[in-house]
Amino acid sequence: MSSIQELLKGAFKPSVKENAAVLDQILGNSADVQKRDFLLCGKAGSPGLLCFMDGLADTTLVEAIVRALVVTGSQLNREPAELATAESIRTSLLFNATVKDCPNVREGINGILSGDTLVVVEGLDQALLVSTRGWKDRGVEEPSSENNVRGPRDGFMESIRTNTAHVRRRIKDPMLRFESMVIGTRSQTDVNIAYISDLVKEGLVDEVKSRLNRIKIDSVMESGYIEELIEDAPLSMFNTVQSTERPDKVASALLEGRVAIFIDNTPVVLIVPTFFWQYIQAPDDYYNRYWVGTFFRIVRYFAFLISLMLPSVYVMLVSFHHEMIPTSLALTIASGREVVPFPVLLEALIMELAFELMREAGLRMPKPIGQAVSIVGSLIIGQAAVQAGLVSPFMVIIVAITGISSFAIPSYSSSLAIRMFRFPLMIASGFLGLLGFSTMFFALLLHALSIRSFGESYLAPASPYRPTDQRDTMLRLPMWMLDERPGFAQDVDRMGDNQMPATPLQKGE
Amino acid sequence: MKTFRISNGMFIAMIVNLIFVKAIGVTQGELARVIGSDMWIATFIGMLQGIVIMYITYLALRKTPDRDFISLGSAMLGKWFAALVALVIFVFYLAAFGPIMITYVYHLQEYFLPEAPISLFIIASLLVGALGCYYGLEVIARIALVGLLFIFFLNGLIIIGSTHEFDMRNLLPVLESGLPQTAAASLHFDADWAMATMLAALIYPHVKDVKKYGAKLGIIGIVTSGLIIVIWAILEGAVLSGEVTAQYTLSCMKLARNAHIGNFLQRYEMIMIALYSISALFEVMFCVYATSVCASRVFALKSNKPMIIPVCLILGAFGYWVVDDHFWALKYLEFYWPRVALPIAFGLPVLLLLLRLLFGKKLQKAKPAT
Repeated sequence: MSSIQELLKGAFKPSVKENAAVLDQILGNSADVQKRDFLLCGKAGSPGLLCFMDGLADTTLVEAIVRALVVTGSQLNREPAELATAESIRTSLLFNATVKDCPNVREGINGILSGDTLVVVEGLDQALLVSTRGWKDRGVEEPSSENNVRGPRDGFMESIRTNTAHVRRRIKDPMLRFESMVIGTRSQTDVNIAYISDLVKEGLVDEVKSRLNRIKIDSVMESGYIEELIEDAPLSMFNTVQSTERPDKVASALLEGRVAIFIDNTPVVLIVPTFFWQYIQAPDDYYNRYWVGTFFRIVRYFAFLISLMLPSVYVMLVSFHHEMIPTSLALTIASGREVVPFPVLLEALIMELAFELMREAGLRMPKPIGQAVSIVGSLIIGQAAVQAGLVSPFMVIIVAITGISSFAIPSYSSSLAIRMFRFPLMIASGFLGLLGFSTMFFALLLHALSIRSFGESYLAPASPYRPTDQRDTMLRLPMWMLDERPGFAQDVDRMGDNQMPATPLQKGE
Repeated sequence: MKTFRISNGMFIAMIVNLIFVKAIGVTQGELARVIGSDMWIATFIGMLQGIVIMYITYLALRKTPDRDFISLGSAMLGKWFAALVALVIFVFYLAAFGPIMITYVYHLQEYFLPEAPISLFIIASLLVGALGCYYGLEVIARIALVGLLFIFFLNGLIIIGSTHEFDMRNLLPVLESGLPQTAAASLHFDADWAMATMLAALIYPHVKDVKKYGAKLGIIGIVTSGLIIVIWAILEGAVLSGEVTAQYTLSCMKLARNAHIGNFLQRYEMIMIALYSISALFEVMFCVYATSVCASRVFALKSNKPMIIPVCLILGAFGYWVVDDHFWALKYLEFYWPRVALPIAFGLPVLLLLLRLLFGKKLQKAKPAT
């Protein structure tokens, strides 16, 4: 292993044979490593070698390299002696879009493993690295976990460059920057940091870079790896890094002065800093008229509260404080619970766990079977459990409403966190009634207030209270009133004055 | 070192939260037992006194906005005096924990969980209090803002639920016991705002615009609290009458139980208590914070965190001792607590203001507080 590290540190040699031996030693006999020898300008005295990865490199582009080096060179009557440097080959022979000189072996190997083609020619002390990346991708599809009714349908995919292009298409601003780095000693995963240089929060890019540079890991399989290694509250269940598959969300975040982190091989892009309330906002809020946006946003806030607290409140009321339930409702609940042998807390826990079980099974199964599992689970087992007297009908309703409410939260990862918070709250309520509920809720609130996301308070703009930002938190005010970016952006003005539309006055009016 | 600054709104919210809970929870009952339905006048008179003491507290710190009472004492008379001031504030908040626990425990235990042991309430509240204190002043200040929002909701609910039984005649005659006795009764409310002036004495240096608006913010805090509490005093007097209010330790719960919205929502005091508990737990949390800060200063520690658990144990034991016996708790609340709170609340700011006038030059030469 150490000898390979030594070889990687070395430089390319003028001898093609020696270079080929080095490549053999490093890459071994992998089936996907392809080597193609050629004669520069068709002359026997100037052998050369191409090395690329089958499946990662586009063979059409590789063929174009061979054609340029062998056929074009001879057609132009060029002599190998005239092409004595890598630079002269690059500038006068190759017509590929991206070609760069490659002096050391590590860079060459990294290029090959990324889908580029390495060209070594006898007599040259440098190699050439030609961009030939071209593997089979899935097409651009609608993000499966972030649906919307109105708005763009394209989602990110696994290719980092396609993903950055999605954003570039939306923001044709020369100040939009993508900075590149590689993370993962073995996976060598490409990571891009995107920001708009004259909008981004001061110091944020440096902070993101420093956190990313600190990562020492062998591989990055998905953005979740990076997320867990850069977040502010690693022990918290709250997500302090937003993740999305939607290019429009990323573009809008960049326009607010935030930073996006693109990771190769995943359709999920990370956005920092993030605030808790953003998880309850959806792109549709902005694409529909503000009345509709505000109404559905309020509905989602209710959904959040129901998802977090409804089972706990029910358990607390029925176990300890039934006198607080209006009489007619209390009688209905009592009649349903008459035959149930379990205490309310246990009944709630069983039902919640059964719901999570059905959700998880439905998710992991192939789609048609998954739907069947959901239907069988929710309808048949639910009905049977009620008829058997194992659970009360009211509990089924509570769990169903809670489940539906948790699905109404647009961010899937955040709704998972809320689903988990439900359990300690429910257990505390079941054991200690109002005392347990209030204490656990207070502790939860304290925790949420204590965490930050890249220097910003997680619960801002509610706490600390920022009056200007309230225009787009609980309510979604008209677009012509959203004239400012969040306070942390370098330039907060995003709109001209007096943008409220009005019917033009008719002549004589 | 980056110092955290409490925003002006958070500072006001902290004052309101600290005064509100006990003032509506048990003080109105105390006042009713002394002066009947004139509780609102006593609350108002108490508020005026609170404004004066808050201003004196500000005056004592005005020239040295980077110092609290303890470091001010240190700059004027040395470390021994600072330790003495810290000890006095420690004793104040230790004593304050009694009424706070009376308010918190009796509200929850007597009306919602009568079979639960008292220790459970004390342990639960101290656990979250310690957690908040561990997170630091920034989080404590932020939760005060949430608590203020909940106080507004709570007041809204009680107004909506009580106005239909509002009878102005219950508030008459005004000043039935005479002005001197009403003014004397206001001392019970003074013991409530005393916690807020002591809060200011400790956290003024962390307030964002203390130099510019210090006095204004403190006074706004006292006035806001007074007005929010006067609503309860008037409602209790007008809906329940002074005589009925006087019969209850927790008169606000009687009012809350009485409140209803329409025919369907006949009982919603649990919602109100859920809203109220944020402020109540804030009080516990600030007690833990204040006592841990004072204890750390007494023992010359750089951080208050090592003292959180020891002070929680002390506060817990003291709180249990106070609330375990209902009669003793009432005696403590009405007799002993004002006798501890008022001399400190009135005396300490005045003493430090006088010393500041005497040692003004020495203060100017003193190094800025760290």
